[in-house]
Amino acid sequence: MSTEERRIVVLRSSDEEIFEVDIDVASESQTIKHSIEDDDSGRVIPVPNVDGHTLAKVIEYCKKHVETPRSDDRDAQDALRAWDTEYMKIDQNTLFELILAANYLNIKGLLDLTCQTVADMIKGKSPEEIRAMFNIKNDFTPQEEEDIRKENQWAFE
Amino acid sequence: MREDWVVDAPIVGREYQPPCPDQVIENVLENVLHFLTARRDRNAVSLVCKSWYRAEAYTRSELFIGNCYAVSPRRATERFRRVYSVVIKGKPRFADFSLMPVNWGAHFTPWLSALAAAYPWLEKVYLKRMSITDDDLARLSLAFPSFKELTLVCCDGFGTSGLAILASKCRQLRVLDLIEDELNDDDDDDGADWISCFPADGTCLESLSFDCIEQQINFPALESLVARSPNLKKLRLNQFVSLEQLHRLIVRASQLTHLGTGSFSPSQNLAPPPGPGGNEPDYGPAFAACKSLVCLSGFREVVPLYLPVIYPVCENLTSLNFSYANLNAQELHSVISLCHKLRTLWVLDTVRDEGLKAVGATCKDLLELRVFPIDAREDSEGFVSEVGLLAIAQGCRKLRSILYFCQRMTNAAVIAMSKNCPDLVVFRLCIMGRHRPDHVTNEPMDKGFGAIVINCKKLTRLGISGLLTDEAFAYIGKYGKLVRTLSVAFAGDSDMALKYVLQGCSNLQKLEVRDSPFGDSALFAGLQHYYNMRFFWISSCKITLQNCRQIARTLPNMVLEVFTNMPVAVQDEDEFVDALYMYRSLEGPRNDNPSYVRIL
Repeated sequence: MSTEERRIVVLRSSDEEIFEVDIDVASESQTIKHSIEDDDSGRVIPVPNVDGHTLAKVIEYCKKHVETPRSDDRDAQDALRAWDTEYMKIDQNTLFELILAANYLNIKGLLDLTCQTVADMIKGKSPEEIRAMFNIKNDFTPQEEEDIRKENQWAFE
Repeated sequence: MREDWVVDAPIVGREYQPPCPDQVIENVLENVLHFLTARRDRNAVSLVCKSWYRAEAYTRSELFIGNCYAVSPRRATERFRRVYSVVIKGKPRFADFSLMPVNWGAHFTPWLSALAAAYPWLEKVYLKRMSITDDDLARLSLAFPSFKELTLVCCDGFGTSGLAILASKCRQLRVLDLIEDELNDDDDDDGADWISCFPADGTCLESLSFDCIEQQINFPALESLVARSPNLKKLRLNQFVSLEQLHRLIVRASQLTHLGTGSFSPSQNLAPPPGPGGNEPDYGPAFAACKSLVCLSGFREVVPLYLPVIYPVCENLTSLNFSYANLNAQELHSVISLCHKLRTLWVLDTVRDEGLKAVGATCKDLLELRVFPIDAREDSEGFVSEVGLLAIAQGCRKLRSILYFCQRMTNAAVIAMSKNCPDLVVFRLCIMGRHRPDHVTNEPMDKGFGAIVINCKKLTRLGISGLLTDEAFAYIGKYGKLVRTLSVAFAGDSDMALKYVLQGCSNLQKLEVRDSPFGDSALFAGLQHYYNMRFFWISSCKITLQNCRQIARTLPNMVLEVFTNMPVAVQDEDEFVDALYMYRSLEGPRNDNPSYVRIL
């Protein structure tokens, strides 16, 4: 145990799970950071929009990124990127929960990582495939859709 | 997996409800779209649903216009609201060969007006085969305070006075690349001294290319400019910069990665005869100090005696452009044998088959090769042949793109290349004499080109020549399913040839045909396909005005332009038109055409 005092914050997920987290790790979330700044009394910080399973995953990301020192070293950067890639090998539900969490908790790095992952899923797909992937309803009339398709192809491709 | 910081994990009563993907993504859609830059992806996204269309239109930051007449500036700027970078293409490629009348169009001015109004934050403009005036350059400099990059490729209409205004007003300019442009005042002795106009207290310049400017520049001003441009990585000089002057520049800029060497010959006014060790500085160390150099070009009036000064940088070179350098095989060999990492090479055919053998022997990673003719006339001697092509096929197995001008070729060599270089994406063979057969067997070149489309499964661009019958076109139509650009000159027997292509090549976007015996029925064969193409150019064939009118009636959104090289309109309905250029457009016929370009 180090002699230096390490400050811990306590987070409570929407489903009542409790997490004790280093203050630096928790502060990766701008939302939590502001919460701590506003109220330093050490009470439990509720995270009502995020369940325990997702919050654990979020904390895993924050911990890794706080622990890894910023470096210009190419190998170190590659290693972190590789870690991120492994980290993102998750099912779609977890992905969407993570996006919601990263957005609510305002963690830029995690939000960018999850959005990049979604973007990679979209690359090379047709509109029909994208709709199917994300369960999106096509609200264009056939004529509207045809007009946009034509404009895209004739003008912007 | 739970870490040791989880203290408590009570049983949860509530039932798990998975998040709705569409709602989740809706919240972060702009962030997701930030990571999508390819046009195809953006276009697909815009068709998903209305909210995605809006988000995509709001976040598209690069606007690509493949044909400046296919859409109006107003329509483009009304749909896309936050564009930072614009690419606009104008004339078709055959304009480069004086097949288009002067002042045909593709004016930047109306686009500039719309862009200036819609995107005051615009940073980058890339124009290809457009006409841009000095006034346009002046307006551009004033309209966009954050302007950073201007690239003009094969453009005309402007001169050094426009460049002077640009240099002085665009204080954040990082890139000014003038590539194969034709300036107005090239024939004047008094161009503007634009090099002196850059900000005096330092510039942001990263890339400056002016090798196409056919005028003297103020050298002391250039020296001073290079000295106060610490971020300069790419510098391409014109032929009026001598070797001593080049030397003075690179000793101040050893951080350069791309260098266009200018004339690469000593200045005319050196008193003793030129030669290393005389009154001249020792050029070698200056080049050796440029450790980051990966791309060399220029050599406009190369004196081969001085080539050894570039030997120290050869081992790191990935791109070498000798297309202006009159070098023989031995001279090329001395350089090429050191260039093991070369990926792109452009040369003149003066290096002969011998020179190409040296390339094949050393450049195992070569991806792109272009061999240009020093004399492009039909009856010129021709210094390379199937021997050179075979040497390349044997040595450069990773080849993806080739452009090869010659006077003699054989099917066997082309077939060998098709088998050895399966990664070919671009294959353009120009046998310059008309209707030349395989010079060994005297057969048409059908089998060679057939092998290319059969074996090179990634082929998207094809240029054909030589004696070709309809059989070649049948192969292309049957196997060239990925071909997007096809260039045909002096080829084919009958209209069937064009029919095979128009009906077979489902991905065909750009078709340029000249001096081939195709007539009206060939044109009708493509009716189903023309709306899928960016353009179709056909000249010096057997197309009548009457037939063009018929097509125009049948396809209301096609714009058909009919013209001759001479400023004289085509008159007679049954007369063959000199040239037909047709393209789809959302806007209907343009109204800025000169009088001798007739739009049907």
